Amino acid sequence: MKHALKTSTYAITLGLLTALSSSPLLADQADDIQVSDPFTREMPPGAFATASFMTLSNTSDQNIKLVQVDTNAAKSAELHTHTNDNGVMRMRQVSSFNIPAKGVSTLQPGGNHIMLISPSKMIKAGNTVSVTLTFEDGSSKQVSMPVKSVMNQNNNHQHHNH
Amino acid sequence: MKLSQKAVKNGMVAIGTLLLLFFLIQFLTQSNSPPPPKSTLSEKPTGGNFTLTSVHGKQSLSDFKGKLVLLYFGYTYCPDICPTDLGNLAMAYRGLNEQEKAQVQILFVTVDPERDTANRMAEYTDYFNADMIGLTGHNNEIARVAKQYGVVYMKAKNPLNSNQSDAQNYTVDHSAFTYIINSTGQLQTQVPHAMPPAQIQTLIRTYLTQDNAS
Repeated sequence: MKHALKTSTYAITLGLLTALSSSPLLADQADDIQVSDPFTREMPPGAFATASFMTLSNTSDQNIKLVQVDTNAAKSAELHTHTNDNGVMRMRQVSSFNIPAKGVSTLQPGGNHIMLISPSKMIKAGNTVSVTLTFEDGSSKQVSMPVKSVMNQNNNHQHHNH
Repeated sequence: MKLSQKAVKNGMVAIGTLLLLFFLIQFLTQSNSPPPPKSTLSEKPTGGNFTLTSVHGKQSLSDFKGKLVLLYFGYTYCPDICPTDLGNLAMAYRGLNEQEKAQVQILFVTVDPERDTANRMAEYTDYFNADMIGLTGHNNEIARVAKQYGVVYMKAKNPLNSNQSDAQNYTVDHSAFTYIINSTGQLQTQVPHAMPPAQIQTLIRTYLTQDNAS
Protein backbone atom coordinates (compact mmCIF):
# COMPACT_ATOMS: atom_id res chain seq x y z
CA MET A 1 0.00 0.00 0.00
CA LYS A 2 2.70 2.38 1.08
CA HIS A 3 4.78 1.29 -1.83
CA ALA A 4 1.95 1.94 -4.28
CA LEU A 5 1.48 5.44 -2.90
CA LYS A 6 5.14 6.15 -3.34
CA THR A 7 5.10 4.88 -6.88
CA SER A 8 2.10 6.98 -7.86
CA THR A 9 3.59 10.11 -6.32
CA TYR A 10 6.68 9.47 -8.35
CA ALA A 11 4.61 8.94 -11.49
CA ILE A 12 2.69 12.18 -10.97
CA THR A 13 5.91 14.13 -10.39
CA LEU A 14 7.47 12.63 -13.46
CA GLY A 15 4.33 13.41 -15.47
CA LEU A 16 4.34 17.02 -14.34
CA LEU A 17 7.99 17.39 -15.21
CA THR A 18 7.42 15.93 -18.65
CA ALA A 19 4.43 18.16 -19.24
CA LEU A 20 6.38 21.25 -18.28
CA SER A 21 9.47 20.37 -20.25
CA SER A 22 7.52 19.52 -23.41
CA SER A 23 6.03 23.00 -23.62
CA PRO A 24 9.08 25.24 -23.67
CA LEU A 25 8.34 28.78 -22.51
CA LEU A 26 4.66 27.74 -22.48
CA ALA A 27 4.11 29.20 -25.94
CA ASP A 28 0.57 29.05 -27.24
CA GLN A 29 0.05 26.44 -29.88
CA ALA A 30 -2.60 28.67 -31.41
CA ASP A 31 0.15 31.18 -32.21
CA ASP A 32 2.01 28.54 -34.18
CA ILE A 33 -0.93 27.67 -36.41
CA GLN A 34 -1.75 29.66 -39.52
CA VAL A 35 -5.12 29.22 -41.18
CA SER A 36 -5.64 29.77 -44.90
CA ASP A 37 -8.56 29.42 -47.34
CA PRO A 38 -11.23 28.66 -44.75
CA PHE A 39 -14.79 28.17 -46.03
CA THR A 40 -18.08 26.57 -45.11
CA ARG A 41 -20.27 24.92 -47.66
CA GLU A 42 -23.71 26.28 -48.32
CA MET A 43 -26.37 23.77 -47.24
CA PRO A 44 -28.59 22.23 -49.89
CA PRO A 45 -32.26 22.34 -48.85
CA GLY A 46 -33.12 19.74 -46.24
CA ALA A 47 -29.54 19.12 -45.15
CA PHE A 48 -28.98 18.91 -41.41
CA ALA A 49 -25.26 19.49 -41.39
CA THR A 50 -22.61 21.08 -43.50
CA ALA A 51 -18.87 20.69 -43.78
CA SER A 52 -16.15 23.32 -43.35
CA PHE A 53 -12.70 23.26 -44.79
CA MET A 54 -9.37 25.08 -44.39
CA THR A 55 -5.63 24.62 -44.49
CA LEU A 56 -3.80 24.57 -41.16
CA SER A 57 -0.04 25.25 -41.23
CA ASN A 58 2.16 24.53 -38.25
CA THR A 59 5.16 26.86 -38.03
CA SER A 60 6.58 25.22 -34.91
CA ASP A 61 8.85 22.20 -34.75
CA GLN A 62 6.38 20.16 -32.73
CA ASN A 63 3.22 18.38 -33.78
CA ILE A 64 0.08 20.20 -32.76
CA LYS A 65 -3.35 18.69 -32.36
CA LEU A 66 -6.60 20.47 -33.09
CA VAL A 67 -8.89 18.99 -30.46
CA GLN A 68 -12.07 21.08 -30.42
CA VAL A 69 -14.18 23.42 -32.51
CA ASP A 70 -16.90 25.69 -31.16
CA THR A 71 -19.38 27.88 -32.98
CA ASN A 72 -22.50 29.88 -32.33
CA ALA A 73 -23.79 29.09 -35.82
CA ALA A 74 -24.73 25.48 -35.09
CA LYS A 75 -25.81 23.20 -32.28
CA SER A 76 -22.43 21.54 -32.38
CA ALA A 77 -19.23 21.33 -34.37
CA GLU A 78 -17.25 18.11 -34.68
CA LEU A 79 -14.05 16.86 -36.27
CA HIS A 80 -14.76 14.26 -38.93
CA THR A 81 -12.86 12.16 -41.37
CA HIS A 82 -13.77 10.09 -44.40
CA THR A 83 -12.24 6.81 -45.29
CA ASN A 84 -12.49 5.50 -48.82
CA ASP A 85 -13.01 1.78 -48.29
CA ASN A 86 -12.74 0.41 -51.81
CA GLY A 87 -15.01 3.09 -53.20
CA VAL A 88 -17.36 3.14 -50.20
CA MET A 89 -17.09 6.45 -48.37
CA ARG A 90 -17.42 6.16 -44.61
CA MET A 91 -17.67 9.25 -42.45
CA ARG A 92 -16.61 9.00 -38.81
CA GLN A 93 -16.03 11.38 -35.94
CA VAL A 94 -12.44 11.69 -34.70
CA SER A 95 -11.06 13.22 -31.51
CA SER A 96 -8.35 15.36 -33.10
CA PHE A 97 -6.56 16.40 -36.27
CA ASN A 98 -2.78 16.30 -36.14
CA ILE A 99 -0.94 19.20 -37.73
CA PRO A 100 2.63 17.94 -38.21
CA ALA A 101 5.65 19.98 -37.12
CA LYS A 102 6.63 22.43 -39.89
CA GLY A 103 3.85 20.82 -41.89
CA VAL A 104 0.33 21.28 -43.15
CA SER A 105 -3.02 19.63 -42.46
CA THR A 106 -5.58 20.21 -45.19
CA LEU A 107 -9.27 19.92 -44.44
CA GLN A 108 -10.94 19.23 -47.77
CA PRO A 109 -14.04 17.65 -49.32
CA GLY A 110 -13.91 13.86 -49.05
CA GLY A 111 -11.29 13.98 -46.28
CA ASN A 112 -10.89 15.61 -42.89
CA HIS A 113 -13.42 18.34 -42.23
CA ILE A 114 -15.21 20.26 -39.52
CA MET A 115 -18.89 19.35 -39.47
CA LEU A 116 -21.39 21.95 -38.35
CA ILE A 117 -24.44 20.07 -37.09
CA SER A 118 -27.96 21.46 -36.84
CA PRO A 119 -27.15 25.06 -37.77
CA SER A 120 -29.25 27.60 -35.93
CA LYS A 121 -30.24 29.15 -39.27
CA MET A 122 -29.68 28.17 -42.90
CA ILE A 123 -26.05 28.61 -43.86
CA LYS A 124 -26.24 30.58 -47.12
CA ALA A 125 -23.62 31.68 -49.62
CA GLY A 126 -22.50 35.23 -48.93
CA ASN A 127 -22.66 34.84 -45.14
CA THR A 128 -19.72 34.15 -42.89
CA VAL A 129 -19.54 31.62 -40.09
CA SER A 130 -17.20 32.10 -37.15
CA VAL A 131 -15.58 29.15 -35.38
CA THR A 132 -13.12 28.87 -32.50
CA LEU A 133 -10.39 26.27 -32.90
CA THR A 134 -8.93 24.89 -29.68
CA PHE A 135 -5.59 23.11 -29.61
CA GLU A 136 -4.16 20.47 -27.28
CA ASP A 137 -2.63 22.99 -24.87
CA GLY A 138 -5.97 24.76 -24.47
CA SER A 139 -5.02 27.80 -26.53
CA SER A 140 -7.51 28.83 -29.17
CA LYS A 141 -7.93 30.80 -32.34
CA GLN A 142 -10.95 32.34 -34.00
CA VAL A 143 -11.54 31.79 -37.72
CA SER A 144 -14.07 33.54 -39.90
CA MET A 145 -15.22 31.34 -42.79
CA PRO A 146 -17.05 32.64 -45.85
CA VAL A 147 -19.95 30.44 -47.02
CA LYS A 148 -19.66 29.12 -50.59
CA SER A 149 -21.99 27.03 -52.68
CA VAL A 150 -20.71 23.67 -53.98
CA MET A 151 -20.77 25.11 -57.47
CA ASN A 152 -18.82 28.31 -56.83
CA GLN A 153 -16.39 26.47 -54.66
CA ASN A 154 -15.43 24.32 -57.63
CA ASN A 155 -15.16 27.39 -59.79
CA ASN A 156 -12.57 28.79 -57.46
CA HIS A 157 -10.59 25.59 -57.58
CA GLN A 158 -10.42 25.81 -61.34
CA HIS A 159 -9.15 29.36 -61.12
CA HIS A 160 -6.38 28.24 -58.84
CA ASN A 161 -5.20 25.85 -61.48
CA HIS A 162 -4.69 28.52 -64.11
CA MET B 1 -4.25 -6.57 5.41
CA LYS B 2 -4.47 -10.33 5.30
CA LEU B 3 -8.15 -10.15 4.46
CA SER B 4 -7.66 -7.65 1.69
CA GLN B 5 -4.93 -9.78 0.19
CA LYS B 6 -7.35 -12.67 0.08
CA ALA B 7 -9.94 -10.43 -1.53
CA VAL B 8 -7.43 -9.37 -4.13
CA LYS B 9 -6.57 -12.98 -4.84
CA ASN B 10 -10.26 -13.90 -5.17
CA GLY B 11 -10.79 -10.93 -7.42
CA MET B 12 -7.90 -11.95 -9.63
CA VAL B 13 -9.29 -15.45 -9.97
CA ALA B 14 -12.71 -14.04 -10.84
CA ILE B 15 -11.28 -11.72 -13.48
CA GLY B 16 -9.19 -14.52 -14.90
CA THR B 17 -12.21 -16.78 -15.19
CA LEU B 18 -14.23 -14.01 -16.84
CA LEU B 19 -11.48 -13.30 -19.35
CA LEU B 20 -11.20 -16.96 -20.21
CA LEU B 21 -14.98 -17.18 -20.68
CA PHE B 22 -14.93 -14.05 -22.84
CA PHE B 23 -12.27 -15.41 -25.17
CA LEU B 24 -13.97 -18.78 -25.31
CA ILE B 25 -17.30 -17.18 -26.30
CA GLN B 26 -15.58 -14.97 -28.85
CA PHE B 27 -13.80 -17.93 -30.34
CA LEU B 28 -16.99 -19.96 -30.55
CA THR B 29 -19.11 -17.22 -32.09
CA GLN B 30 -16.40 -16.26 -34.52
CA SER B 31 -16.06 -19.75 -35.91
CA ASN B 32 -19.82 -20.06 -36.33
CA SER B 33 -20.63 -16.66 -37.85
CA PRO B 34 -20.32 -16.13 -41.61
CA PRO B 35 -17.45 -13.97 -42.84
CA PRO B 36 -18.19 -10.22 -42.61
CA PRO B 37 -20.12 -8.83 -45.61
CA LYS B 38 -17.78 -7.83 -48.38
CA SER B 39 -18.03 -4.28 -49.59
CA THR B 40 -15.73 -4.73 -52.53
CA LEU B 41 -16.67 -3.44 -55.92
CA SER B 42 -14.33 -5.67 -57.83
CA GLU B 43 -16.87 -7.36 -60.08
CA LYS B 44 -17.80 -5.36 -63.12
CA PRO B 45 -21.44 -4.29 -62.79
CA THR B 46 -23.78 -5.10 -65.65
CA GLY B 47 -26.05 -2.05 -65.35
CA GLY B 48 -29.29 -2.24 -67.32
CA ASN B 49 -32.76 -0.74 -67.31
CA PHE B 50 -34.73 0.11 -64.17
CA THR B 51 -37.91 1.91 -63.19
CA LEU B 52 -38.15 4.17 -60.15
CA THR B 53 -40.25 7.12 -59.01
CA SER B 54 -39.59 10.82 -59.52
CA VAL B 55 -41.77 13.73 -58.48
CA HIS B 56 -43.42 13.38 -61.93
CA GLY B 57 -44.23 9.68 -61.49
CA LYS B 58 -42.63 6.49 -62.75
CA GLN B 59 -39.45 6.96 -64.70
CA SER B 60 -37.26 4.37 -66.42
CA LEU B 61 -33.72 4.55 -67.65
CA SER B 62 -35.09 3.63 -71.09
CA ASP B 63 -37.05 6.93 -71.10
CA PHE B 64 -33.70 8.60 -71.72
CA LYS B 65 -32.76 6.57 -74.78
CA GLY B 66 -30.80 8.81 -77.12
CA LYS B 67 -29.18 10.63 -74.22
CA LEU B 68 -25.96 10.09 -72.34
CA VAL B 69 -26.97 9.39 -68.71
CA LEU B 70 -24.84 10.22 -65.68
CA LEU B 71 -26.19 8.10 -62.82
CA TYR B 72 -25.27 8.78 -59.19
CA PHE B 73 -26.39 7.03 -55.99
CA GLY B 74 -26.52 8.92 -52.69
CA TYR B 75 -29.00 10.54 -50.29
CA THR B 76 -30.19 14.01 -49.40
CA TYR B 77 -29.00 13.93 -45.78
CA CYS B 78 -25.49 13.19 -47.06
CA PRO B 79 -23.39 15.99 -45.57
CA ASP B 80 -20.26 15.99 -47.74
CA ILE B 81 -19.75 13.22 -50.31
CA CYS B 82 -22.95 13.67 -52.32
CA PRO B 83 -22.86 17.49 -52.46
CA THR B 84 -19.26 17.22 -53.68
CA ASP B 85 -20.05 14.77 -56.47
CA LEU B 86 -23.40 16.24 -57.47
CA GLY B 87 -21.85 19.71 -57.42
CA ASN B 88 -19.08 18.52 -59.74
CA LEU B 89 -21.57 16.83 -62.07
CA ALA B 90 -23.73 19.95 -62.09
CA MET B 91 -20.74 22.15 -62.86
CA ALA B 92 -19.69 19.87 -65.71
CA TYR B 93 -23.24 19.91 -67.12
CA ARG B 94 -23.65 23.65 -66.79
CA GLY B 95 -20.44 24.17 -68.75
CA LEU B 96 -21.84 22.32 -71.79
CA ASN B 97 -23.41 24.18 -74.73
CA GLU B 98 -27.17 23.96 -75.29
CA GLN B 99 -26.87 21.30 -77.96
CA GLU B 100 -24.74 19.11 -75.71
CA LYS B 101 -27.01 19.68 -72.71
CA ALA B 102 -29.94 18.38 -74.73
CA GLN B 103 -28.10 15.07 -75.09
CA VAL B 104 -27.18 14.63 -71.41
CA GLN B 105 -29.28 13.67 -68.38
CA ILE B 106 -28.11 13.46 -64.76
CA LEU B 107 -30.06 11.00 -62.56
CA PHE B 108 -29.73 10.91 -58.77
CA VAL B 109 -30.98 7.69 -57.14
CA THR B 110 -31.40 7.63 -53.37
CA VAL B 111 -29.91 4.85 -51.24
CA ASP B 112 -32.06 6.11 -48.34
CA PRO B 113 -35.61 5.54 -49.63
CA GLU B 114 -37.06 5.61 -46.10
CA ARG B 115 -36.35 9.31 -45.73
CA ASP B 116 -35.98 10.46 -49.33
CA THR B 117 -39.45 10.97 -50.76
CA ALA B 118 -39.87 11.98 -54.41
CA ASN B 119 -40.65 15.54 -53.28
CA ARG B 120 -37.62 15.73 -51.10
CA MET B 121 -35.45 14.42 -53.94
CA ALA B 122 -36.85 17.03 -56.34
CA GLU B 123 -36.23 19.86 -53.90
CA TYR B 124 -32.68 18.65 -53.45
CA THR B 125 -31.82 18.12 -57.13
CA ASP B 126 -33.29 21.53 -58.05
CA TYR B 127 -30.65 23.12 -55.83
CA PHE B 128 -27.94 22.04 -58.27
CA ASN B 129 -29.66 23.76 -61.17
CA ALA B 130 -28.61 21.17 -63.75
CA ASP B 131 -31.94 19.63 -64.93
CA MET B 132 -31.13 16.73 -62.62
CA ILE B 133 -33.86 14.16 -61.85
CA GLY B 134 -34.12 12.61 -58.37
CA LEU B 135 -35.43 9.04 -58.11
CA THR B 136 -36.70 7.01 -55.18
CA GLY B 137 -38.60 3.75 -54.70
CA HIS B 138 -39.33 0.93 -52.31
CA ASN B 139 -36.42 -0.60 -50.42
CA ASN B 140 -36.39 -3.68 -52.65
CA GLU B 141 -36.57 -1.60 -55.85
CA ILE B 142 -33.57 0.47 -54.76
CA ALA B 143 -31.70 -2.66 -53.69
CA ARG B 144 -32.26 -4.22 -57.11
CA VAL B 145 -30.97 -1.18 -59.03
CA ALA B 146 -28.02 -0.87 -56.66
CA LYS B 147 -27.12 -4.49 -57.29
CA GLN B 148 -27.30 -4.01 -61.05
CA TYR B 149 -24.76 -1.22 -60.81
CA GLY B 150 -22.60 -2.74 -58.09
CA VAL B 151 -23.53 -0.02 -55.62
CA VAL B 152 -22.81 -0.83 -51.99
CA TYR B 153 -24.69 0.97 -49.21
CA MET B 154 -25.40 0.39 -45.55
CA LYS B 155 -26.82 2.37 -42.68
CA ALA B 156 -24.33 3.60 -40.11
CA LYS B 157 -24.94 5.02 -36.66
CA ASN B 158 -25.02 8.74 -37.10
CA PRO B 159 -21.62 10.12 -36.17
CA LEU B 160 -23.24 13.55 -36.23
CA ASN B 161 -25.56 12.84 -33.35
CA SER B 162 -23.96 10.02 -31.44
CA ASN B 163 -25.92 10.64 -28.24
CA GLN B 164 -29.33 10.33 -29.86
CA SER B 165 -31.08 7.04 -30.35
CA ASP B 166 -33.76 8.13 -32.81
CA ALA B 167 -34.57 5.54 -35.47
CA GLN B 168 -34.41 8.31 -38.08
CA ASN B 169 -30.98 9.29 -36.91
CA TYR B 170 -28.44 7.57 -39.15
CA THR B 171 -26.08 8.18 -42.02
CA VAL B 172 -25.54 5.88 -44.98
CA ASP B 173 -22.12 4.65 -45.99
CA HIS B 174 -22.21 4.24 -49.74
CA SER B 175 -20.04 3.77 -52.79
CA ALA B 176 -19.67 7.09 -54.56
CA PHE B 177 -19.19 6.36 -58.24
CA THR B 178 -20.91 8.09 -61.12
CA TYR B 179 -22.04 5.67 -63.82
CA ILE B 180 -21.88 6.77 -67.44
CA ILE B 181 -24.53 5.12 -69.58
CA ASN B 182 -24.62 5.62 -73.36
CA SER B 183 -27.56 6.57 -75.55
CA THR B 184 -28.62 2.94 -75.94
CA GLY B 185 -28.67 2.28 -72.20
CA GLN B 186 -25.33 0.48 -71.99
CA LEU B 187 -23.15 1.08 -68.95
CA GLN B 188 -19.84 2.46 -70.23
CA THR B 189 -17.72 3.28 -67.23
CA GLN B 190 -17.77 4.36 -63.60
CA VAL B 191 -16.17 7.59 -62.44
CA PRO B 192 -14.58 7.72 -58.97
CA HIS B 193 -15.59 10.09 -56.17
CA ALA B 194 -14.57 13.75 -56.45
CA MET B 195 -13.54 13.83 -60.10
CA PRO B 196 -13.24 17.54 -60.95
CA PRO B 197 -15.87 19.09 -63.28
CA ALA B 198 -13.41 19.71 -66.12
CA GLN B 199 -12.47 16.04 -66.26
CA ILE B 200 -16.12 14.96 -66.14
CA GLN B 201 -16.85 17.33 -68.99
CA THR B 202 -14.07 15.80 -71.11
CA LEU B 203 -15.55 12.34 -70.46
CA ILE B 204 -19.05 13.53 -71.37
CA ARG B 205 -17.79 14.93 -74.67
CA THR B 206 -15.85 11.75 -75.43
CA TYR B 207 -18.93 9.58 -74.94
CA LEU B 208 -21.17 12.01 -76.82
CA THR B 209 -18.84 11.81 -79.82
CA GLN B 210 -18.86 8.01 -79.62
CA ASP B 211 -22.65 7.98 -79.43
CA ASN B 212 -23.04 10.35 -82.35
CA ALA B 213 -20.60 8.33 -84.45
CA SER B 214 -22.39 5.02 -83.93
